[in-house]
Amino acid sequence: MDQIYIPKNRTGFFSGDYVLIQPIESKLKGRLEEKKDKTRLYFYGVKALEPIKLRVIEEISSLISREANPENIIITGSFLEQGFNFNDLDILIINKQKINTQRIRSKIENLTGIKTHIIMLDKKTLISGMSSDPLYTLMLSRCMSKNRLIFKVERKINYKLLDLHLLKSKTLIDNFSILSGNEKYYLILNMVSILLFIQNKKLSKEIVNKEIEKIFCVKISEIRANLITKKDFIEKYKEIYNKTFNLILKNVKTGK
Amino acid sequence: MNRNKLIEVLISNLTNAVVHQILELAIDKQEISEVYNKEFKNSWEIAKRYREKINPVNKSLPARDIEEINRKVINRVKTELKLRIEKGYENIDISLVPEFVEKSLKELKVV
Repeated sequence: MDQIYIPKNRTGFFSGDYVLIQPIESKLKGRLEEKKDKTRLYFYGVKALEPIKLRVIEEISSLISREANPENIIITGSFLEQGFNFNDLDILIINKQKINTQRIRSKIENLTGIKTHIIMLDKKTLISGMSSDPLYTLMLSRCMSKNRLIFKVERKINYKLLDLHLLKSKTLIDNFSILSGNEKYYLILNMVSILLFIQNKKLSKEIVNKEIEKIFCVKISEIRANLITKKDFIEKYKEIYNKTFNLILKNVKTGK
Repeated sequence: MNRNKLIEVLISNLTNAVVHQILELAIDKQEISEVYNKEFKNSWEIAKRYREKINPVNKSLPARDIEEINRKVINRVKTELKLRIEKGYENIDISLVPEFVEKSLKELKVV
């Protein structure tokens, strides 16, 4: 029996739908291939995506391509998580020359009605970020891009940079009772990903989430729903914070 | 959230913002410096958000609040910076702290 392969993440038809398979004429074939090239997207760490979201991403990708034709477009963040509980749309535009992201942002917001964040950077900065910044690594562990991404980047630990990132997580110690569940989750995620990065461990949202659940003996959903109690949690948090901070400061001499 | 708690969050984020500003001056690599600057903006925006919730919003706070915020921010920033200096982090100018804190408090209309 012959087989036909179709992308798992697709728009247009669903499992169980009846389809007609027939050969196409060469002219039409050419047009289809051209269209396929324009809309082809690469998936990294995205196991499944709702077809409606895929359609939104395709629309956004072609809008950005029409407006600026950048070297690459990367979609990341909560929009790629399952379900519709996303906060916003996070887009990285990779290009050597500067692009008016303000105009693109406003066009995307008009098109989709979703709050959009655009970061513009060149390829060199992206590679440098991927090698030295755990947040970049985490961000790109689940993303979609217009062109293929190369992830083989040697990790270079920059302790001053990590010191800066970790400082953010200190806010949780001082303000536990007033932060929302999502704010707490972000600060915990930030701290644990820094720790794993220093320990030269692999980073992805799933790995960091598992580590958080293991360290604090709580479920991510409980953190996000703000159901953790200060007494049980904060002592362990301080311990991990201090451990990470000491590891950083041990190496944070000039030049490192 | 009551007023005291709002002031506490303001102090915490203002501390982060000032620490970032001073660390930015201590590093010479442009690439890192840009990130520090971005992070400073994050803390600064949060501090601003909380200042807008503390009455009076459009004029300076009562003298005892100013004194408390000023003292706590200066102490906390100095503690953060001293920790780093003790571990060999060079080029940190701790004498800049009061000046940076005062400037920040003026911009946030605390003073």
